[in-house]
Amino acid sequence: MMRHSVIITPDHVIVDGNPLMHNEKGSVLLTELYRNNIGDYPKFFKMDTLSKLGFIASELLLNAEGNRSFEPREDRAVILFNRHASLQADTAYQATIQDPDNFFPSPAAFVYTLPNIVTGEIAIRNKYFGETSFIVIDDYDEKIIMENLKNAFQDPMTTSIIGGWVDCSDEEHFEAKIFLIEKEN
Amino acid sequence: MDELIYTLKQQIIEALNLEDMKPEDIDDNASLFGEGLGLDSIDALELIVMMEKNYGIKLKDPTQGKEIFKSVAVMADFIAKNRTK
Repeated sequence: MMRHSVIITPDHVIVDGNPLMHNEKGSVLLTELYRNNIGDYPKFFKMDTLSKLGFIASELLLNAEGNRSFEPREDRAVILFNRHASLQADTAYQATIQDPDNFFPSPAAFVYTLPNIVTGEIAIRNKYFGETSFIVIDDYDEKIIMENLKNAFQDPMTTSIIGGWVDCSDEEHFEAKIFLIEKEN
Repeated sequence: MDELIYTLKQQIIEALNLEDMKPEDIDDNASLFGEGLGLDSIDALELIVMMEKNYGIKLKDPTQGKEIFKSVAVMADFIAKNRTK
C-alpha cells in the first residue's frame, strides 16, 4: 500500500500530490530544498547530484510520514532505480584525471562513482539496516519497479520500502519519483 | 604566514565543500578532525591531493597526515617548509 510520494524535477516539487513552493530551478533547487526543509546535515554539500536528489526526495518523503525517530531499524528497505547510473559523478571524477598535466584524482568525487551510494546515504541518515538495492534499467518502467518491490517483501524482515526512480544525467537534468510503501497483510 | 593561513583556509573550504563556512570561522589552532571541523577520512585524502595540486607537496607516507593536519596553523607551517610551488 502506497503511503506517501515525492516527485522532484528541475522545476517541480510535488509531495503527496501537492506542489511544494520554491523559487529556484535546476541544481540550485536541491540546495534550496535542503535549506528550507532539512538544514542539519552538512554532508549534503559533499554529495554528487544523484545522492543530493535521492537524499532530498527521501527527506521530504519521511517528513510527510512524520514521527521521525532516527532509531535503528531493519524492517525498512531502500530500493531505487534509474537509467543513468552515476553518470554525473563519473563525469566529475573523469574531469579530475582527464589532463595528464593536471592529474589529481579526487577521492571525494570518486566515492560517488556508483549509483548505489545514494541508497547508502539514505540508510545511513535514517539508521536503516534493511535491504538496500539500486537497479539500473533502460527507462522508467512502473511494472518493473513494482515487481521488484513486491519481490522485496518476500523477505519477512521487510515491512516497508522507500522505492522508486532517482535519475540524474547531469547537474541540471534529474528526476525523482519515489514513494513509501508498506507491506499488505 | 598569516596570508598563507588565510589562503589555506579558503582552499580547504573550496576543496571540502564546507558550505556556509568562511575563513574567519576556522580557528588557526583548532583540530581539523574529530571535534574541530569534523572532517572525515575522505576529506583527509582530499587534503593530500590539494597539497600536491596547489603546493607540489607529495606525502610519501600517508600516516604523516595525522600530524600535518592537526590544525591549519600546523598545516601552513609544513607547507611553508616543504612547498615546491
